[in-house]
Amino acid sequence: MQNADKKRLHPGVLALILALLAVPALIALGVAVWDDRRFYIVSLLIILVSMAPFVLRFEKRRPGARELTLLAAMTAIGVAARAAFYMVPQFKPMVAIAVITGVAFGAESGFIVGAMIAFVSNFIFGQGPWTPWQMEAAGLMGLLAGLIFHRKDGSLPKLLPLCVFGGLGTLILYGLIVDTSTVFTTQKEITWQALTAAYGTGLVMNLIHAAATVVFLLLLARPMLKKLNRLRVKYGMLQ
Amino acid sequence: MRRDAFSDIHPAVSFALFAAVLVLTAFVLHPAVTGISLVSACIYTIVLKGRRALLFDLLAVLPFIIVVAALNPLFNHEGATPLFYLWNGNAVTKEAVVYGLVSACMFAALIMWFYCMNAVMTSDKVIFLFGRVLPALSLIFSMTLRFVPRLVSRIREVSAAQKSTSPPMKKGVVSGVRHGISVISVTVGWALESSVVMSDSMRSRGYGGRGRTAYALYRFTARDALLAALAAAFTAAFVWAAASKAVYFRSYPSVKCAPMSVGAVIGLAAFAGLCLMPALLNAWENVKWRILSSKL
Amino acid sequence: MANFKFEALTFTYPNGPAPALESVDLSVRDGEFLLVIGPSGGGKSTLLRHFKSVLAPHGERSGSVLMDGVPLSDVPEREQAAKIGFVFQHPDDQLVTDKVWHELAFGLESLGCGRERMRVRVAEMASYFGLEGVFHKDVAELSGGQKQLVNLASVMAMNPSVLVLDEPTSSLDPIAAFDFLTTVKKLNTELGLTVVLSEHRLEEAMPFADRVAVLEEGRLTAIGEPKAVAEELHKRGSGMALAMPSAARISCAIGCSPAALTVNEGRRMLRSMGLARKTLPETPAPAKGETVLRAKELFFRYEKDSPDVLRGLDIELRAGSVYGLVGGNGAGKSTLLKALSGSAVPYRGRVEISGRRMKGRFSAFEERVGLLPQDPRTVFYPVSVGENVKKAAAGRGAGEEEIERIVSLMGIGSLSERDPFDISGGEQQRTAIAMILLTKPRILLMDEPTKGMDAGVKRAFGLKLRELASEGLSVMLVTHDTEFCAEYADTAALMFDGSISAENTAREFFCGNTFYTTAANRIARDIYPNAILTEEVTALAKRG
Repeated sequence: MQNADKKRLHPGVLALILALLAVPALIALGVAVWDDRRFYIVSLLIILVSMAPFVLRFEKRRPGARELTLLAAMTAIGVAARAAFYMVPQFKPMVAIAVITGVAFGAESGFIVGAMIAFVSNFIFGQGPWTPWQMEAAGLMGLLAGLIFHRKDGSLPKLLPLCVFGGLGTLILYGLIVDTSTVFTTQKEITWQALTAAYGTGLVMNLIHAAATVVFLLLLARPMLKKLNRLRVKYGMLQ
Repeated sequence: MRRDAFSDIHPAVSFALFAAVLVLTAFVLHPAVTGISLVSACIYTIVLKGRRALLFDLLAVLPFIIVVAALNPLFNHEGATPLFYLWNGNAVTKEAVVYGLVSACMFAALIMWFYCMNAVMTSDKVIFLFGRVLPALSLIFSMTLRFVPRLVSRIREVSAAQKSTSPPMKKGVVSGVRHGISVISVTVGWALESSVVMSDSMRSRGYGGRGRTAYALYRFTARDALLAALAAAFTAAFVWAAASKAVYFRSYPSVKCAPMSVGAVIGLAAFAGLCLMPALLNAWENVKWRILSSKL
Repeated sequence: MANFKFEALTFTYPNGPAPALESVDLSVRDGEFLLVIGPSGGGKSTLLRHFKSVLAPHGERSGSVLMDGVPLSDVPEREQAAKIGFVFQHPDDQLVTDKVWHELAFGLESLGCGRERMRVRVAEMASYFGLEGVFHKDVAELSGGQKQLVNLASVMAMNPSVLVLDEPTSSLDPIAAFDFLTTVKKLNTELGLTVVLSEHRLEEAMPFADRVAVLEEGRLTAIGEPKAVAEELHKRGSGMALAMPSAARISCAIGCSPAALTVNEGRRMLRSMGLARKTLPETPAPAKGETVLRAKELFFRYEKDSPDVLRGLDIELRAGSVYGLVGGNGAGKSTLLKALSGSAVPYRGRVEISGRRMKGRFSAFEERVGLLPQDPRTVFYPVSVGENVKKAAAGRGAGEEEIERIVSLMGIGSLSERDPFDISGGEQQRTAIAMILLTKPRILLMDEPTKGMDAGVKRAFGLKLRELASEGLSVMLVTHDTEFCAEYADTAALMFDGSISAENTAREFFCGNTFYTTAANRIARDIYPNAILTEEVTALAKRG
């Protein structure tokens, strides 16, 4: 789903650079203006700033109907798949779907679908101050999956590295961003102990979530990617 | 959800009001501000969903409050007034406890406001607000909401169909996961195929051409203008009071609150006015209806 | 106003062995109602998709399509989007957004219609199609018929001059289907809209059409006025003659011209012939096998406070028999199948299989109860037909031989390499049944098995069913298809308000009803009170 122009900077890289430039500026601003609440404001702004390039680029290239419906279908699967695992609590295929989208359609689509899954899930089950953090975390997983595993010719990635990436990514990157968001939202000083404690309280959940991601990728990544490839051929699209 | 007068106003106004309340609650950490915000959110929850729902929501919020209130004094040892010492020799200070409590209430208020916002800002309104700015993403949002209930009922159908084609599910996580994976893989195949038909239907109705517009489900009325102006005035008054430190609170290095002044009263009253607007609007409509029906 | 001209249109799919359309010459006149019929897989959808450039499938194409004398490829896409309205088969798949108002506005939004104009158009559509009551609702809350009506209205909002509909009623129940077709006819007569419709439901659709085009194996084999086409197909002995309305089949078979189309015309024709009153000999009641499945006083509701869906329902299924259950929407037919297959637990009453009482959510697999869901696509894994069949066989360890037997019984041997989503509806149905048969059920429950099947496929399917029953399988089918039920079921019953209100042998059942009966019975009931099949009526009439 990526445009073929190679000259342009990849939006993922662009976003990272922007974020890196923006962070010190934002921190400075935060310290100067909002003494007490600087971490909350700074972290929130960083998230918004890093999402902007994807959103703007996505809107600007006016994606076609086939792309939109496929991304909507992937998002909906990410939101609704939980219903199939009603007997296994906390079995959330959310990150796995973002990763599969990234692999199939590239980093940008991976980010969009990851963030949308988080947004729509929260829209249905209740938004909260944590929504932007979840959007960012799931989006980043889709983004990284796209950067690492996406191939233009649609060839399937090796399963083992994909699962390792999915599992560790969920446990470390996703878990860290989402669980420590409470600390950024409510604490005055960010200390290692506070971060560890916040992360520790969510560790069990994160382990289950990571296991869910691995199982899901292990069993469903290939069939889903094959199916997507088949649709590509049948309808001559997404190339 | 009950009949709510605030849900009938123009989405731009209701969204702006929620945004103002959320931002001010999150950024101005002050016991009175946090208190007003939390109480108003609770009142509006009763108006929207009733007392039982309020109890339910508060219970859901409680764990967050405890974690947040405990986190700060346990790991932040700044502050001038130590209350007691932990096993590792670190002090639990009065300032840290106060900050922890206030920020926990702030967090609870935010969550309660988000719950209210969820009930008021329906998908129609989200799409109305963002359809013009972010057309592609709003469309994905709408299509996803269309897909989700279909997927959920599809998952149930597939699950029922599998009862007759595969051995019964045993108890336990492994068999539960296996069953889920098998249901999902059937459902996913169908969902992706069905998305192609959906895209044909979009293209058949001209999607992809230039100059897409958006249907305006809502009209901006004189009452909306009045409410918007009122909300803006309240917000401005409060921001002025906070900026001039008439409304001021800090926890570190020692707990300090600006003394009561005319400015503080105006600021807090304005903030209360802003937070209570949804509930007051309902009260006002109730009164009007009572008068109307008594005249009949 | 719009007219179309297809000149020597030939089209082949990328991997297709033979052309899907072969030198089709067809002209569609301004304001006419053209009905396109033919067996499934005969090229109807492919032809209809050529009415609009964005929908034309990928593949090799020759010949030309002209709209109002201009090659369609030269008509700008925006103009095509507005002028050519297209309604697809599945009401659910083509709804794009989550709200009715948004769906109605979708096309106008795409065209960049201004705010006030859009408001007027949408308001007009909602009022004309009676959608005011559901305007703000989620589309998920609508019935199938309402959904398809929303699809039609959202196309009509763009003010098209031609309406192309690809089997729009195939997943609707008969009443919703008739309402939908009536609305389409109304648009045709009141607005002068050109209509191109493909349908399997010819009993209702044929009388509406100005002309009928028959498409078989990609070729246009007949075109003309409905009555003439019916006579021609009969004379030629075409397989499509089976699909004609009962009145047409009877009148053609007894050599009356012009052919009758509606029940009323059929009745008048028979009356004018002055035929003697006759009754068929009583069919002996089928030998009663042992009871394999019994439900006693079932009560079921979905939630504690919701109304009962099943109310004291009693039903009995005997070995080797085919039991047909008819009844309106919401009578609880699908819920009954759920209760009989262990997916819904009745709060009172009992389900017995071979005399043993079932408890809770019992396993249909272990009790050897096969369930064919309404949509066969709910059983397909995203792999080829062959692999799907193997997967199903593994459940109870059916061997190669058994697989081969079932595959050839259901006639799906040639599909083994295909993807189950690429084959026709009838083929999907047969594949799903094969998969279920491979789990070696003793009882087969089927929910609307003939939905969307054409007449030929339906007949083949009915004969298969009888064959399976004679091998000892007990079959229960819930259906809206009274014709199918009359022809292939031993016992028929009417379900109403959560219980069985009438049950009898199929013949006694149908000739006793006035509404829930076959068209053939309605045509001939005055002179042949217990004839229920067109074949029976023709045989009796021919004897004079």
